[in-house]
Amino acid sequence: MDASAENENEPMVETAAVSHDAVVRPTRPYSFYIEPYDETDRPRKFLDVMAAMLRHSTYDHWLDLYSKISTKCSRCAEVCPIYDTTGDPHDIPCYRTELILKVYRRYFTVSGMLRARLGHAWELTDRHIDEMAESIYHCTACRRCTIECPLGIDHALMTHLMRHILTEIGVVPKALVVAVREQLEGATHNTSAIPVAAMVDTCEFLEEELTEQLEYDKIKFPIDVEDAEYVFFPAVSDYLLEADTLMGNAAVFHATGCSWTIGSGNFDGINYGLFVNDRYLRRIIQQLVTEVRRLGGAKIMIGECGHASRSAKDFVPVFGGPDPPEVVNCMEWTHRMLTEGRLQLNPDIITDVVTYHDPCNIARRGWIVDRPREILRAFCRNFVEMTPRGRYNYCCGGGGGTVSIDEMREYRTGIGGKKKADQIRATGARYLVAPCANCKKQLREIVEDHELEGVEVVGLHDLILKVIEIPGAKPAADRTVVDPMTMDWKGAAENG
Amino acid sequence: MAEWLAFARGPLFRLSVAVMVLGLARHLAVTVWGLIRAYRLSDDKNVSWRRAAHQTLDWLVPVRHLRERWFYSLMSVIFHIGVIVTPVFLLAHIRLLQKSIGVAWWALPMTAADVLTLTTVVTLLLLISGRVGSGAARGISRLQDYAIPGLIVVPFLSGFLAAHPGLNPFPYNPTMLVHILSADLCIVLVPFTKLAHMALLPLSQLPSELAWRFPPDYPERVARQIGTQGRAI
Repeated sequence: MDASAENENEPMVETAAVSHDAVVRPTRPYSFYIEPYDETDRPRKFLDVMAAMLRHSTYDHWLDLYSKISTKCSRCAEVCPIYDTTGDPHDIPCYRTELILKVYRRYFTVSGMLRARLGHAWELTDRHIDEMAESIYHCTACRRCTIECPLGIDHALMTHLMRHILTEIGVVPKALVVAVREQLEGATHNTSAIPVAAMVDTCEFLEEELTEQLEYDKIKFPIDVEDAEYVFFPAVSDYLLEADTLMGNAAVFHATGCSWTIGSGNFDGINYGLFVNDRYLRRIIQQLVTEVRRLGGAKIMIGECGHASRSAKDFVPVFGGPDPPEVVNCMEWTHRMLTEGRLQLNPDIITDVVTYHDPCNIARRGWIVDRPREILRAFCRNFVEMTPRGRYNYCCGGGGGTVSIDEMREYRTGIGGKKKADQIRATGARYLVAPCANCKKQLREIVEDHELEGVEVVGLHDLILKVIEIPGAKPAADRTVVDPMTMDWKGAAENG
Repeated sequence: MAEWLAFARGPLFRLSVAVMVLGLARHLAVTVWGLIRAYRLSDDKNVSWRRAAHQTLDWLVPVRHLRERWFYSLMSVIFHIGVIVTPVFLLAHIRLLQKSIGVAWWALPMTAADVLTLTTVVTLLLLISGRVGSGAARGISRLQDYAIPGLIVVPFLSGFLAAHPGLNPFPYNPTMLVHILSADLCIVLVPFTKLAHMALLPLSQLPSELAWRFPPDYPERVARQIGTQGRAI
């Protein structure tokens, strides 16, 4: 990169430059807060953890292969939305991966150790650890670089490894570890610290709200029903922030006769272990499975949340013990019901332009790409796509847990979310559908920070709630809430 | 000089090839072992081999990926075709092999070989200048990322000159010696540099499929070893 680009991005370079400072300070100037920890002897501790990781996991094979095969072709730089925005070489996925490969080659290969004996060895320093810590949380773990690496280098896996090691030595964003602590060791066992009574109250309130909106009182939020087919785990923050998503979920489940329940023992699909540490990831997965077993449920249904879906889908079979329950995302259910003709959606309600944002965690590997689009096309007259989309989508900019790190907002929306903001603007959409709690938070902040006027960020089931037709309930056309922003005044006047 | 030439294309060449073959065989064995081990240690056996195969083929024949950074990608593809096809199907090389081990195969017509050689050199020079000229590539490049392509130019250029005495300003024997020695060096360096990707590429998409299927209790075993097991978060 040239010097001018470096200057343009001064705040980020400044952060990296500070972390390069040779003086070891008691509180390190990362762009995220961390809790106080024992900062002595960090390189040795880092190597101890890494040695244990290599011994007990299979990471050594991949580090070995990636060390040999990496050609530094820089294709990952082309596809990384962060590097594309900052132009800072520190943000190139291959550069980040090299931070751990370098440690591996020096301390865990024969040639590295021999070179050290000969006296010209690079040594792991506090400065390197600081650079790594800053770098891995600049990455939103969107894995776009992974599917675009000609050599197959899984940069996200390398970031995952670095995050795990650094968490073990105490370098982990406070926002993430506090959430995990509450989920695993707190009284409520969920990341938003919602007591069971409050969750039950919320569900009752949502039932009343549904009764009012649909003039129909049969839609329920079943709690602790034994032997239900699905145990439902939305991102727990939905109980606080996404009433429409949850009501949409409940309406679909009711209309399609789904056998489902919410467990009072554990009702949080969020798994920030995915972003920081496999030990936490594993324990959170085990909590999910335990709750399903307690209720005698058959399957896990994850709500509208990308990382919760991926953690459950990918890691219940890994960490969930023998005969792990099947994992389904709520959109899979809704899509199946729609194609089987068991779900009626009114195609005349949503006339505004609607676009869809693919959450990386469900789209990148091609898991859920077409199904939400087919659902949307079934009832949206004006559905437009972003470019690129699907497997090649751009991250919202809040991936990898960064969305929960409030002190990184300027970076997240300004740099991480720049490409997404441009994409949204280009669609001219009124409704931006993002079936992910994290994406929604980030996208609302993008809409605010980039002044994308008139864009409303919603979940897929929020829109379904507006258009669903349930026999016996008030028809969708009659319960349309006229939005003053788009109201057809003449038509409204004519209709009285 | 004749003895030097005979040594370079005889014992030295055989040694280089032996080092390359054994080195790559070791790399392959280690990689395959890693993949098998990861599969065996994981509780999750539901691997999408289809997706892995698709990804592998997708990158071995990267036509779909030419859109992104199309010029660089196209140069890269042409270079790779040239660097593999030219030495393997060059008539002079095949004749040498036939003389020593009695094996021969189809050879490129002379003109095609010339075009391919020059194309390889030109695309390689473009790739090197692309690396020097791009901030991103420069930011992540190591010494070998310049040295290896620079080295590969030598046998191609010297080979071309040796085959065209009319164009060659240098005497034949020194040109040929440079050609063979530089080729030997390229061959011997394969297992020790990024050139190893020539053998490992067909396997390199598999780790992404298998690596996330961690051994079920590994995080706890790590914690036990480093003494953090049971410690409050």
